[in-house]
Amino acid sequence: MDRPKQLPAFFFPSLQSEERTYWRPSVDVYRTPNGWLLKFDLAGVRPEDVHVEVQGCLIRVSGVRRDLLAEEAGSYYSMEISYNRFERTISLPCEFANPHVSLEGRDGILIVRVSEG
Amino acid sequence: MSNSEDVQVLPLLPLKNSVLFPNLLMPLSVGRPSSRAAVEAVLATEGKEMVIVAQRDSSKEEPQFEDLYNIGTRAIIKKMARQSENHMELIVLGVERVVILRLEQSQPYLTARVRPYPLPDEKTPEVQALHRAVIELAGRAIQLAQPSLPVEVSQFLSSTDDPVRLAYLLGSMMSLELSKEQALLEAATPGEALRMMHKFLTNEIQVLELRNKIASEAQSEMTKQQREYFLRQQLRAIQQELGEKDPQQAEVEMLRERLEKLQLPEEVAKEAQRELSRLERLPPGAPDYQVIRTYLDYVVELPWNTTTEDNLDLARARQVLDEDHFDLKEVKERILEHLGVLKLNPEAKAPILCFFGPPGVGKTSLGQSIARALGRKFERMSLGGLHDEAELRGHRRTYIGAMPGRIIQAIRRGGSKNPVLMLDEVDKLGRDFRGDPAAALLEILDPEQNKSFRDNYLDLPFDLSQVFFITTANTLDTIPRPLLDRMEVLRLPGYSEEEKIQIANRYLIPRQLKEAGLTPEQCSFSDDTLRTIISRYTREAGLRQLERNIGRVARKVALRYAEGKTEPVAVRPDDLPEMLGPYVFSKEELRKELPPGVATGLAWTETGGDVLYVEATLLPGGKGLTITGQLGEVMQESARAAQSYIWSHAEEFGIDAAVFKDSGLHIHVPAGAIPKDGPSAGITMATAMASLYMQAPARPDTAMTGEITLTGLVLPVGGIKEKVLAARRAGVTRIILPRANEKDLPDLPDEVRRDIEFIFAERIEDVLAAAVPALAEKAQALKTG
Ligand SMILES: Nc1ncnc2c1ncn2[C@@H]1O[C@H](COP(=O)(O)OP(=O)(O)OP(=O)(O)O)[C@@H](O)[C@H]1O
Ligand SMILES: [Mg+2]
Repeated sequence: MDRPKQLPAFFFPSLQSEERTYWRPSVDVYRTPNGWLLKFDLAGVRPEDVHVEVQGCLIRVSGVRRDLLAEEAGSYYSMEISYNRFERTISLPCEFANPHVSLEGRDGILIVRVSEG
Repeated sequence: MSNSEDVQVLPLLPLKNSVLFPNLLMPLSVGRPSSRAAVEAVLATEGKEMVIVAQRDSSKEEPQFEDLYNIGTRAIIKKMARQSENHMELIVLGVERVVILRLEQSQPYLTARVRPYPLPDEKTPEVQALHRAVIELAGRAIQLAQPSLPVEVSQFLSSTDDPVRLAYLLGSMMSLELSKEQALLEAATPGEALRMMHKFLTNEIQVLELRNKIASEAQSEMTKQQREYFLRQQLRAIQQELGEKDPQQAEVEMLRERLEKLQLPEEVAKEAQRELSRLERLPPGAPDYQVIRTYLDYVVELPWNTTTEDNLDLARARQVLDEDHFDLKEVKERILEHLGVLKLNPEAKAPILCFFGPPGVGKTSLGQSIARALGRKFERMSLGGLHDEAELRGHRRTYIGAMPGRIIQAIRRGGSKNPVLMLDEVDKLGRDFRGDPAAALLEILDPEQNKSFRDNYLDLPFDLSQVFFITTANTLDTIPRPLLDRMEVLRLPGYSEEEKIQIANRYLIPRQLKEAGLTPEQCSFSDDTLRTIISRYTREAGLRQLERNIGRVARKVALRYAEGKTEPVAVRPDDLPEMLGPYVFSKEELRKELPPGVATGLAWTETGGDVLYVEATLLPGGKGLTITGQLGEVMQESARAAQSYIWSHAEEFGIDAAVFKDSGLHIHVPAGAIPKDGPSAGITMATAMASLYMQAPARPDTAMTGEITLTGLVLPVGGIKEKVLAARRAGVTRIILPRANEKDLPDLPDEVRRDIEFIFAERIEDVLAAAVPALAEKAQALKTG
């Protein structure tokens, strides 16, 4: 794996605090025989809260993660999962004149398949 | 892109002392009950959203609407951890700027109705210019604040293309005052935010530059003392950490133990204890601490009760003295005499000796030998050029860097209270506005006072009465009278060639051969060789140059052995130029003939004796008496006495009185040899004048010394041995001396008495008769008639 080309945050701790105002789900990208497969880690996100947009070669997944146990769980002891708005944009090599996109939700993972339509 | 969802009602978290900017994370510590309640409520929502607003007044525990700023930030709790029942840590993320429309609830926590308050887009050239300027300033500020940061940081700053985000980022980094941070958050347009940032940064840079300047100045001004203080402080902390004993306490205890062991005189013990308890109460960093420590160290190390036992075995002492020095009978006898007294009365005070003589005659080494013979420690110090009384007596402790005086220092070095203490060059003692060291010396040498000598630094009485003081001098003239009166002067007048050869054979050659790593068999010097060294390479009353040249020859010979030579080397006179270089001195040649008006005198100088020619000439048309050469008052006086005598007897001598009227008289004494005893040239000047007026030359083989009175009497002078030796070195065969100096002849080596004809004069006529052949008859007649 190549080292990240970005500025290493530890050089200047306060730079770390610079952030987007939404969280970014992790994503795996696969090459398939006839196109691409993207897996977004969206555990706990309701399907109706996910929004997928395809714009040419850009695939943008956005939405909201709502804390589904917020009310019944009583008081928190600690919290690290990111809630509220998320957004992730992946740009694929432009090889499709007419992309076909299919979505599938499975065990908290959003699977996005892209192929020539 | 805006996250605005229009008007919302959200729990509100008031912040003391800081502002959360959009797009930035901030760690928060939540403890206030109302804040905790607010956070709990937020955590119980699906989206973890709330509003964070700064408090105008951070002292308010339960702030109300009017205590809060009107503009805040909508935020999401990103992470949370509960530390205890009443305390949790949060990381919150600023999402967007909001305006607080009103408070909806204040119990159990605040909620507020808020509306997004985004900044307008603004891409004017002014904003772009400001943007770039701010990036540049920020780079400089970072450079100043943390010069070790890599350049990437500033590059990163320039990669933030949203000017407002840049301003917020910098605002959060800069630890600005709350009101400034809030003003930045409230900035109506990107341009305004950047302008503010520009101002803040400019100011910050000035502050940083000033800070760096002060820091570097302070650094350089941090004195040695301060550094020591800090280091000590750290050392102490480390030792305590390691469970070691407090070093200060240990130090004090060690000093106390040593003080008790010393059995000091009562007054001293009392004072030392007082200082010790002062030390105990001081922190080790206090400036006084080191001062007292050093002082006590000194006190502890002085030999208050340490004496060496004298060797009172006279036979052994004599043997030691003879081993070390040739001849010098008078001095050796004096030492043995004192030893005898000490044997009868151990309390007897040592005499204060003053060894007086030219350089290199063994004054210092004799002192060492005396210490060896007595079995005492030897210490020496030079008084030459000493101006300041405080050098002898020390400075009061209140002075920074104060030290004891040289006397006490020498005592400490020696480590006993009865050393032989040699005070070299007592004749070169200075005196000026800093006080009179001679006066201090008087006290030091006075047996009545030196029992309790008080050094300024020590400020305690120290007993110097058992010290054996020896002073040395090249001349007695400059020694203050009271000081001279206190000392017993012993002369070391210098050595004749014969004596030098003997000393060389017995002492100098063996010592120098050993030094060069040679055995006596490997290298030998004939007497002729030594004589050549003495006459061609040295001009001295003492032995320094002779010893040095013997040493040089020995090293040259050693080199030959090192290069493979095996047979013994007998150094011959002819070898010398090769080993020592060309002759330094031509043999002192006497003038073969003297013109009328010149007479041969003998002078005593600090380096021994010297032959000098006094020249008298007429100054036609001139008036009176002119004297040149470096002559002192006394010499002028004798010149006048001589002149008066000659004039008053002009008729008897048959001198034309007109000469006196028509011409002045000029007397010149070569400056090269500066006679220290002015009057002794009197008879020489009289002889030169008589020779001049009579146009009758003086004998070139005859030299003279003596004082003359107005009536023509010849009075005795000093330094006979030195003068005679010098005359002999120069090849003089007849010497005219005052009759009263006849008693000095036994001091002279036999060979000198054998080689030289002495004429003793009572009156100037005797001198003239012996020195100027043409005047012999007239002078004789004048005397008897
Ligand atoms: N009588 C002597 N017998 C043996 N060695 C001597 C004798 N006199 C002098 N020396 C040696 O001559 C050298 C010079 O002597 P020293 O240094 O004592 O001279 P000094 O009189 O102290 O001179 P200064 O006035 O320059 O201090 C020493 O090495 C000393 O041992
Ligand atoms: Mg000396």
